[in-house]
Parts: sequence; structure tokens; C-alpha cells
Amino acid sequence: MQPTLDRWLGRLNGPQTTGHGPAFWVASLVVILGFAFLPQFVSRYQVITFSNYMISALLALSLCLIWGYCGILSLGQAAFFGIGGYAYGIVALNLLRDHGNTDIAFLAGMIVPMLFAAVVGAIMFFARLQGVYVAILTLVISLLLGTFMRQTADPSYTIGAAYLGGMNGLRPASPNDPLLPSLIFGLGDWVWEFDGRSVAFYYFTLCVLVLAYLAFRWLVNSSYGYLLIGCREDIERTETFGYDVRLIQISVFCISAGIAGLAGTLYAAWGTYIHPDGFAVAPNILVVIWVAVGGRKDPAAAILGAIGLSWLSVRLTALGEISLFVQGAILVLVMLIAPDGIITTLARLIERTFAVRGRPIKT
Amino acid sequence: MSSELLYPSGDTIVQVHDLHKDYGGVHAVKGLTMSVERSDIHCIIGPNGAGKSTFFKLLMGLERPTSGSIFYKGQDITKQPPFKRARLGLTVKFQNIRVYQDLTVFQNLFIPLRRHHSRSDILGQVTRLLAHMHLDGTENVPVRNLSHGQQQWLSIGMSLAVDPEVLLLDEPTAGMSVEETAETAKIVRNLSAQGITVMVIEHDMEFVRNLNSVTSVLHLGKLFAQGSFASIEANEDVRRIYLGTL
Repeated sequence: MQPTLDRWLGRLNGPQTTGHGPAFWVASLVVILGFAFLPQFVSRYQVITFSNYMISALLALSLCLIWGYCGILSLGQAAFFGIGGYAYGIVALNLLRDHGNTDIAFLAGMIVPMLFAAVVGAIMFFARLQGVYVAILTLVISLLLGTFMRQTADPSYTIGAAYLGGMNGLRPASPNDPLLPSLIFGLGDWVWEFDGRSVAFYYFTLCVLVLAYLAFRWLVNSSYGYLLIGCREDIERTETFGYDVRLIQISVFCISAGIAGLAGTLYAAWGTYIHPDGFAVAPNILVVIWVAVGGRKDPAAAILGAIGLSWLSVRLTALGEISLFVQGAILVLVMLIAPDGIITTLARLIERTFAVRGRPIKT
Repeated sequence: MSSELLYPSGDTIVQVHDLHKDYGGVHAVKGLTMSVERSDIHCIIGPNGAGKSTFFKLLMGLERPTSGSIFYKGQDITKQPPFKRARLGLTVKFQNIRVYQDLTVFQNLFIPLRRHHSRSDILGQVTRLLAHMHLDGTENVPVRNLSHGQQQWLSIGMSLAVDPEVLLLDEPTAGMSVEETAETAKIVRNLSAQGITVMVIEHDMEFVRNLNSVTSVLHLGKLFAQGSFASIEANEDVRRIYLGTL
């Protein structure tokens, strides 16, 4: 049992992520348990909001992977989030009556953004675009998608039972069609339903986030993770070793879009709505702020950054229109004081204080 | 040319023909034609701005030539991207070292080694390469804590990690002490003895003399002279271009 556990944990540990060893994993377990018991202590409304924070954290993970590990700053993560949400919604509206579940819609919410990213990524990376050009292009794509979706109020924009609905967002094509559903998973006679307003949905999102975090650690500590970092540190040098860096970039762009799409799917299921405002500048920039403030080079830092700032943002909204302004100010302060992010800097401080040495690198 | 006399049974591995590179008005390489024999050490010298580094970038595919062609083992690789050339056995150590500054020595070697070796093989390979490059025991040292000379060696080691047939070294001894430079010459000769063709751009004439190999002089983007180092050293015209009167 022990060696098996070690081997599994070994795959999750590595020099590319902060934290390893028993103390870190025990602390992580405590944090996860904290989130697990949260619904016992807070109001139903807050549980619902926390589900949303965790969806944001998932979106932050998608940017952390591509930006923090591969050095590609995408300003269009909200676009993949939106595509995921719309794809989930359109498929769910169409298949719900026949299938009675959202299994295929859930998959579509990940696969459609990945396919879209594959096309965009192939165009960008085969053209060897880098840096600011990728950032601008991804943002422009998001804005274009938003512009397109906003003008779909005409009834001709109907896909089967789904009506795109322009500014008002996705809705059923006719009163006889079912409404946009929350998650319903079906397997044979078994049906599991997660209503977006329920505690069950909160737990489902928490599980998805924890699994995504573990998978993320496994991925970046694998050989593939080293290649991502090679591209981040010096893409030309990495290519001279015989790696087709364009394929590495396209593949990570797709994986990242898949994670963002999963977040968008959960978002659409959570609120049972999805509308074009998500493609605007602010949602795209917010993701960057979360990840930059938390720490772009570590998944846990990105998650905590997203949850922390989302929580703060909701608090600030009560005080008026200063939320985005304050978050921008926080970003500037963090960039000046702790350019690697608050959480990453704190983690390093803890590591140094307790002199927890990195375990020797294993092959 | 004299290299043909030196190597009558020549086995050409790299050949460039009438190579031009024009950076929008700056003509860095201007009709360069030359060839390199298998397993040779081939030094390339020339005054600043002679087009030496551009030549290496063209060979590696990091820059596309304005015109002309590049042959590797008889195959036209002029339009191949860098990674394809690397897969054919051609790789480079850049002028400004280019190691992964944020990573440890082990991690720096892991990336190139992973191309040909399984994950379980890599530890042994790292040990072998580090011994070869006089960096034993530095596995877990962050690269930025290495001396300049050690970073040069590591960078050469990273290039060797992909088992190249032709290795381009752009100023391998820059920033090295006299002892380190002498050690580097030994390393280069050792590589050549293993059958690796090494092309070296150098400004340190002591180092080039020490290698005592075929030497090509580039001047104004063209091949100016070629031959043994002794013949180049004795060449009055070469002396003059270095002093700037030609």
C-alpha cells in the first residue's frame, strides 16, 4: 500500500509545482476539508456564490497552464469559457427531451472549445506568432465572438430547440422546448441531478476542481510539463533540440481551452443561463488579474488567487462600482511588491522559514 | 581551395551554395559558398560583422536565407524548420549561452535528453554528460549559480544531449578563464574524435591555434580564405582585414 501511494504521489510531486511532502499534502487536505464543511456554516446563498468562485478557479487554472507554464499570455480565456457555456447549453437544450440527461452536452462543453482552440492555435502557432501578438489576437477573437453573439436576437438564429437570443442570452426556441438545464448525468437507469442552486452542485464543483488540480500537477510534472517550461524559458533553444514547438503550443492551447470550456459548462449549468457579456474585455482581464495576483507559476496559487479575489469582488460590490478599480490596484501593487504573485511569494517564505528542502528530482 | 588539398578523400557533410541574407538593407551574408567535411573541427573566424553568427542561424534554420541553398548530407535543407534539422542531427550552441536560467542543471539536461531517452534512462545520461563537461555533482544546482564558463559547458552538454552529428558552437569560450578555454579545446577535440563534426565560431585566436584545424575566414559575408590555421595565420590579407585596411 505504502509504495503504491508513494508512486502515485510521486507522479503528482515534482519541481514544477510548489509544495510536496507530507506537511503540504496534510495542509491541502485540511483546506479541502474546510471547503467540504463550508456548507454547514454558511447560508445557502453563500454556498451558491462559492460554487461560482470555484468555477472561476477552474478558469484561472486554464490560464495558469498556458501562461504560467508555457509562457503564452492568452487574453481570450473568457472566450473559451463562453464557447463552452454556449456549447453545453445548445446541446443540452436539444438533447434533454430525448436523452433525459446532459451527458453529451457536458462533453460538448469541453470538446467544442478544444476544437475551436485547435483551429485558432494552428493558425497562430504555425505562423509562429508570439508574445503580445497572441495576446491581442486572442482578445480580439473573444470580442468578435461577443459582437457576433450580441446580434443573434433575430429568430433565425435558432439551432434546433436552442435560440441564441442576442443580448438576452441562450434560451429555448419555443415555449414547448425545455429550459436550459443544470447538470443531469445519466448512466443506464441511474440519474444524478445537480441543481445549480443546490449544495450537491457545490460538492460536484469542488470535486471537479480538486481533480483538475491533481491532474494539473501530474501534467506539469510529467515530461510534457518540462517541454512546456522549455517553451516558456527559451522557445528557440527548445526547438534546436528537435522538438516541434508549434505542436507543443497548439496542444497546450487546446488543453487550456478544454479546462476553460469545462468552467464555462459548469457556469452555464450553475446559473442556467449564458449570455454574450462574458466575451467582453473585463471578464478576460479578470482572469489575468486572478492568476497574476495569486501566482501564475503554480496551480494552487492561481486557484486561491481566483477564489480570494472573487470573494473580495463580491464584498466590494456592496460598496458600489469600485470593485474592478480595487482589483486593478491590487494587481499593480502585487506586480510591484511580489511579481511572482502573493501566494507563490508566501509559499516560498514558508518554505524558507521551515527549511523544507525540495526533494531530489526523481526521474 | 586548400581544404580540398588537405582532405583529398573528402566526405562533405555540410555544404552551402551562394548563400545570401539581407536584413532589409543590411547584407549580412553575401554569396557564401563553402563545405565542411565529416568529423572535422572547422573553425570560422572573421572580424565583427563578417556574418559568422548569421551563417550559423541560417544553417540551423532560425533565419531564412534571402537566396542560396544549404545541403546537409547531400539533402537540401534550405526550407526545413529548425526542429527538422535538429532531428537530422544538426544542432547549435548559441553565442549568448541560452540555458534555461530558471531551472536546475538536471532539468536543463532533462529537456534535450527526453527527446531520445526514456525517463528512467535520463539520470544515467545526465551523469555521463556532466562528467564529460566537467560539471560532476552539480545536478541540483540552479543554473544561475553556475559560473559563466560552467554555463557554457552546460549549454554545450545540452546540445550534445540530442546526439548530434554536426554541432555548431558560437563562441564557446566567451567569458572563460585561460584554464577553462584550454579545457574546452580538449572537449572539442574529444567530440571530433567521437566522429562529431564541430563547427566553431571563435574570436580567441589562442583557442583556434590550439585546435589547429581547418579554418575559414569570413569577411563581409563571404568566404575570404580557407586552410590550415598556420596558413591562415601567415596570410597577409587576413591580417589586413583584421586591422581594417581592406
